[in-house]
Amino acid sequence: MSPDREAGFEAVDADILRELMNIAFGKAGADLADVLDMFVVLNVPDVQVIPAARLHDHIGAEIRSQPGISVVEQDFWGDFQGNAFLILPAVAGKNLLALLAPEEGTPATGSTDPYAAMDSLEGDTLMEMGNIIIGACVGKLAELLGTVVSYSPPSVSVDDDLGRAIRADLFEPGYSAVVLQTVFSFGNRDVKGFVFLVSSRESVQWLKAALHRFMAQYE
Amino acid sequence: MTNRSILVVDDSAISRKILRSCLPRDREFVVVEAGDGASGLERFREHGPDITFLDLTMPGMSGLDCLAEMMALRPTAIVLVVTADVQARSIARALESGAMEVLPKPPTREAIGGALARAEGRLGARGVA
Repeated sequence: MSPDREAGFEAVDADILRELMNIAFGKAGADLADVLDMFVVLNVPDVQVIPAARLHDHIGAEIRSQPGISVVEQDFWGDFQGNAFLILPAVAGKNLLALLAPEEGTPATGSTDPYAAMDSLEGDTLMEMGNIIIGACVGKLAELLGTVVSYSPPSVSVDDDLGRAIRADLFEPGYSAVVLQTVFSFGNRDVKGFVFLVSSRESVQWLKAALHRFMAQYE
Repeated sequence: MTNRSILVVDDSAISRKILRSCLPRDREFVVVEAGDGASGLERFREHGPDITFLDLTMPGMSGLDCLAEMMALRPTAIVLVVTADVQARSIARALESGAMEVLPKPPTREAIGGALARAEGRLGARGVA
């Protein structure tokens, strides 16, 4: 059984979600382009819905190739609710800071030590980026599906293990994860990352029904 | 009224379905689809559509590259870009490259109907029945 089906999603559900997430990423890119005052290239995100217990294996290979990860987390609630995460290589924060505030003296190529002091400015940069990406993705998705969501303030952390960076109960059976793999290119810099939304089965079923309501208007 | 020939180039089957459903229902169109930029260009060469709807963000040949090739082949081509990439710079690039209009995704029947009417107005002004 495919991971999508295992999480209660059929291929057609995933196709609709992929299209809506593309639209949502377009909004995120436009918001980031405004903040950074530069052209942002959006790679087409790969979208899958999987049991949350499989998150580790699913994105572990990508994450393990990085010496550290930065995690921005934001909870959201409403008809569709859950926990949203933006996962980036830990050095991404330093690279983004170099883009946003070059006068701070951050090396243009980023630090070689991912654990080297994530100062408050770098943390703020990551939080702002996470806030924009998560807000645009979840907010635009909610808007397209005719509902609204509320958010907690974002939090940011650096770790080398996904399991420690995310609350253990979110990996338990009964939770599903909408996983988006994406690459944002800022000017000539690529930042590859993941966005994933962990939600209860009930919330994912709401999402599935809402996706079909969305498509019904085009029948 | 003439049945217009329309080419829809988008890598998402869902997006192509949405766009087709937004075409005016009181008319008939000859619609050809393509799932990427390269095959879109091929269909453009083969069919010479009256109006092309083109996505920008596609794997392989980008929509902007595809648009440039189409305009080089037929400088009077009418291409309506339908995209999720709503950055001001992307919209400006598409218009500079020859797109007649840029419509944000998801399209609506009103937006597509209006854009089609303007496109047909342009065709009519050129004497294309």
